[in-house]
Parts: sequence; C-alpha cells; structure tokens
Amino acid sequence: MRNPWGWAALTGFSLLFFVFIYAPLFVIVGYSFNSNPVNMMIWERFTLDWYTGLFGLTERVMDPNSRAAYIESTDQMIAALKTSLTVAAFTTTIATVLGTATAIALARYRFRLRGFYNGFLMLPMMMPDIVLGIGLLIFFVTLGMQLSMLTIVIGHCTFLTSYVFIIVQARIAGIDPALEEASADLGASEWVTLRKVLLPQLAPGILGGALLAFVISMDDLVITYFISGTGDTTLPVFIFGMIRRGVKPEINAIATLIILASVVIAAAGLWLRSRKTD
Amino acid sequence: MDSLLEIRGARREFVTPEGDRIAALDGVDLDVGAKEFVTLLGPSGCGKTTLLRAISGFEALDGGTIRLGGADLTALPPFRRPLNTVFQSYALFGHMTVARNVGYALEVAGVPKRRREAEVAEALDKVGLSGMGARRPGQLSGGQRQRVALARAIVAKPRLLLLDEPLSALDRNLRQQMQIELKTLQDRLGIAFVFVTHDQEEALTMSDRIVVMRAGRIEQIGAPRDIYRRPRNRFVAEFIGETNLFPVTVDRVEGPTALARTAEGVELLLPAAGRKPGEAITAILRPTDFTLADKGIPGTVRSAVYLGSDLHLFVAPAAGGPEIRVTARDGQAAETGAAVHLAHDPARVHVLEGG
Ligand SMILES: Nc1ncnc2c1ncn2[C@@H]1O[C@H](COP(=O)(O)OP(=O)(O)O)[C@@H](O)[C@H]1O
Ligand SMILES: [Mg+2]
Repeated sequence: MRNPWGWAALTGFSLLFFVFIYAPLFVIVGYSFNSNPVNMMIWERFTLDWYTGLFGLTERVMDPNSRAAYIESTDQMIAALKTSLTVAAFTTTIATVLGTATAIALARYRFRLRGFYNGFLMLPMMMPDIVLGIGLLIFFVTLGMQLSMLTIVIGHCTFLTSYVFIIVQARIAGIDPALEEASADLGASEWVTLRKVLLPQLAPGILGGALLAFVISMDDLVITYFISGTGDTTLPVFIFGMIRRGVKPEINAIATLIILASVVIAAAGLWLRSRKTD
Repeated sequence: MDSLLEIRGARREFVTPEGDRIAALDGVDLDVGAKEFVTLLGPSGCGKTTLLRAISGFEALDGGTIRLGGADLTALPPFRRPLNTVFQSYALFGHMTVARNVGYALEVAGVPKRRREAEVAEALDKVGLSGMGARRPGQLSGGQRQRVALARAIVAKPRLLLLDEPLSALDRNLRQQMQIELKTLQDRLGIAFVFVTHDQEEALTMSDRIVVMRAGRIEQIGAPRDIYRRPRNRFVAEFIGETNLFPVTVDRVEGPTALARTAEGVELLLPAAGRKPGEAITAILRPTDFTLADKGIPGTVRSAVYLGSDLHLFVAPAAGGPEIRVTARDGQAAETGAAVHLAHDPARVHVLEGG
C-alpha cells in the first residue's frame, strides 16, 4: 500500500541529506589529488605531489620561493601533530578517569550538593568555546603560568571531563543496581565490586567517552588557540595559521589524511562496541 | 531454641516524596529454623522486600536486631553476612560466562581455580544446568537464568538463602515446576530458605511456615494448613484462599453444635465449645466446606464456572446477603438459576471472636 511518489520523495530526500553532509568531504579528497596549484577548482590531472610534499619526500616543482617556505613548515606540522597527540593522550587519560569517577560517585552515592555537581558539570559543555578560551587564558596569566603543553592539557581537561561524565552517566543509568548488590551479597567488597562488576559493565561507555575526548582534543581550535604558547602548537592551530596565509593545496592533503584517521578510529570504536554487546 | 535466624523488634521507616512517614517494618519478630522453608506473604507494599533486604544488609534498621546462628548481623555490611540472595531480576553479570557467574562467590573469596571449577560444576548440576557453564547469561531463557541465579547463590554453601519473588517473571507452567524444584532443592541442601511472594497459592505450595504480613507488621505465622484453616483475623482469612465470611449472632446452643444467624437470616451451625447465645462472631467457611444437598441454606445459583475438575458456584442465599462461594466436586451439576441447598459440617467452621 505504499505511495510510490511518497517513497521516491523520501528516498530522494535522504540522498540529498547524505550529499549535503558528505559532499564537502569528497570535494576536499578530490582536490587533494588535483595537480593544479593555482586554482584547485579546475581539474588538471591526478597527482600525489601534495601528499609527498607534506612529508618533504620530494622537491617541489612549483615556484621556488614557496618551496623554501614549505620545507620549513613540514617539520612544524609534524611537531604540531606530535603536540596534538601528546595533549590528546594526556587529556583523554585524565578526563576519562575524572569523568568516570564523578559519574559513578553521582549515580551511586548520596552526598550534599549532589544536584549542584550535576548541573555544574554540564556548564563547560554549554559554555561558548571563545568564553572558555578567554577565561582559561586569563586564569593562567593570573596564576603566572607559562603557556605550554601543560596549559593546553589543563584547558582541555576542564571541558572534556564533562563529555566523558555525560556519556558514562548515560551508561550507568542503564545498569541494574542489583548487579552491584548481587556482587556484595556474594562477598565482594566495594572495591572488588567496582573492579569486577561495575567497571566491566561501564566499559563500552568509558571507551566511548575516551574516544570522544580524544577526538575533540585533537580537533579543538578555539580554546587551544588562546592557551597554546608560541612553542607548542597543536595541529588545528597550525592548520589555521596556514590557511590565514592562503589556502594551499597541501591543506587538502592534510584534511584528507585527518579524515582517513578519523574513519579508522571511528571504525575501531564501532568494532569494539559490537564485540562488547552480548 | 534451634532457630538459625532471629529477628527481634525490626523497625524501618521511609519518608515518601510527599513527606509522609511510612513504617515499612513496624516491630517485626521472626524466627527461622535451620532447615526451614519460610515464606513472607502479603500484599504489595507490606514490607516483605524491606524485611528481606534488612536481613541481607542492604537496608539498615531504625531499631531491632538480626542474629544468624547466634551472631549479631545488625551492624555488618552485606558482603560480610554469611547468607546469599536470589534477586528478583536475577542480577546476573552479563559480561561473565555462566560458570564465572556461578563461581563468583568463590572467586572473590580466593578459592583456587581447580576447586572452584569442581564446585561450580556441582552447583550447576544441582540446578539442572550441567554443561552450560561456557554460555553467556544473554544466551539463556528466563527459566535458565533463574537457575543460574540459584546456582550462584548456593555455590558458597550458605546456611540461609533469601529469595525475593524469584518466580514472578516466569510463565505459569514453568513457575509451578520451579516451585516444586525449589522445595526439593531446599530439602536436599538442608538449609533455610526465606522466600518472598505475594502469591498465596505459591506460599501454600512450598512453605513449612508462612508469615502473613500487612503494613509492616506480622499478622500471623503458621504452617500453610493452620493459616488456611485457622486464620487469626479477617485480613488473613481473606488474603489466603477464597473465603466466605459470615458476621453472625449466636442464637442457641444445642449439645455439641450452636446455631448462629446473619442479620439477613442465613443460618449456620458451628461448634458449641465456648459459644454463648447473643454473642456476635464471624464464621469462616471455605468454598470447599459446602456441599450441594437436599437440606441446608436455600439459595439460587447466580453463576457457575467450570474449572477443570471443580465447579465454582456463586450462590445467592434465599434469605439475602452476600453471595456464597461454593466449590462443587466433579459430578455435582448446577446451572445458573438453579435452586440449591448448601449443607456444611459444623466442625469445619472457623470462628473469629467479635463481629
Ligand atoms: N527506598 C524507599 N524509599 C521510600 N519508600 C520505600 C523504599 N523502599 C520501600 N519503601 C516503602 O516501604 C513500603 C514497603 O515496601 P516493600 O518492602 O518493597 O514492600 P513489598 O516488598 O512487600 O511489596 C512500601 O510502602 C514502599 O513504598
Ligand atoms: Mg517486594
């Protein structure tokens, strides 16, 4: 009894929806293989120059002036990537531990100011990035802290703890409290119950939260822009700097690599999740 | 006294979100013998779960004491109490295999793996799940999960097992089968069971003794037969099984029987012992206590329900008053609208003092 026109309209609409979402990504991927250095919107021919150039593997064929500038920035880019990965690793670890601990405490223990904590943890997520960035900058300057990788990690932890908290909290809400009671009933202390029952039950949520924290930390620009010093630049801040000096074809290559990395991480996450659920 | 569990003056109050105080336990005294199957029975909200959770330690008492085998448990946290629980939701650990679930108590107690495996196999065998150890709880049926929960709770050989409505999630056939299996298992293990249910039939089937509760208090404790035949008050009489309650006034005493009459004029015979003319009492007769006869209380069949071997009748007495429930045995026929007489043996009448 399906209306064929309605069906067609729905199909068309969903197709449009996916085009709308993914077209910009495909455009970037396509451009990254276009050899036209002047106008990337006009297809010349297929090339891997932008990729190899990125890693400083080959000499650049184009204008020698820009080639000098570029070799320098390859090292910078690798350094920025390293900074990003280091920051993301520390931030993910700290935010995951804090966020998980807070979610467990709020869900399983009664104490004063419980509601207050709950609301308070939402705040950094809803706060505009620019406000958070400026706030953190003023805070660090007031304390007399040098802007460095440490300040970036602290800054990222302030809001990523909230993200992990929200995700773990959602998971914990779906766990029957009787599981922990059963564990205690069978002779397990609170600590053993935490280790053998609650944490394994929460594992998919904790993993999801950690993955999200990692991705957001890698990706954050606005907040990091304020609290990164001249020495330690993260990848997004570095790319932003590059773009300000003009959109170069190499940007497309970097973006394509980042897309690839994201897809790999997301796929790994999904795979881990599907393994956990039975 | 050889009672295993001794509860004295247990009290527990809750404050509702509206700010009212409710006494979930209002002075409960209970003794459970070492090999006894005791059932806590009562309507929803009467405090059964609270009492069970007080015994397991998940609910603190506002007053009173709980002793197990002479040792005071009242201040011990749940994980230090030498008893185990079968939870209503089973509460199986989904991330562990069945075998690891069952062996959990031994695992946390540090029992070596070799011995643990032997005892897990033994416990699984006792509940009829041999060879299922490698599965995950998610791959089992409701009845099998129930058995895993049971095996997990008995693996450490507790002296007391607590069960909170463990059969309520099963369908009727499986439930009846499990009732028998539970009772058999309890006999074989030789340990005490405290079993919670709101299903009076279940309580009558399984228990050595039934504890009837209402609003945080114990109304009556007794063997199923006692509770059924000699309820101490109207609440117990009405809660356990189907009942006919007759508020009557004793008319006269003749030898071993007394004649009593309801306000409408329905006449009943009852044991004369202790009865005085003019006294107001309540006479209790179960539906099976009446037979269809030539003489007795005259009435008209209002409805007849055929249930397997029994015929359930609702008979309106000719004199008036509430309909009388009667179970006629197979072979005795009566149709709606038929005029009948209900006879009863005076000795079967149970009397509650007071109207
Ligand atoms: N945690 C609680 N907070 C507030 N009231 C409760 C709580 N637990 C139980 N009660 C109340 O105590 C009474 C007894 O509850 P419960 O022991 O669960 O009854 P049952 O198991 O017999 O149905 C009920 O009125 C219930 O609403
Ligand atoms: Mg209950």
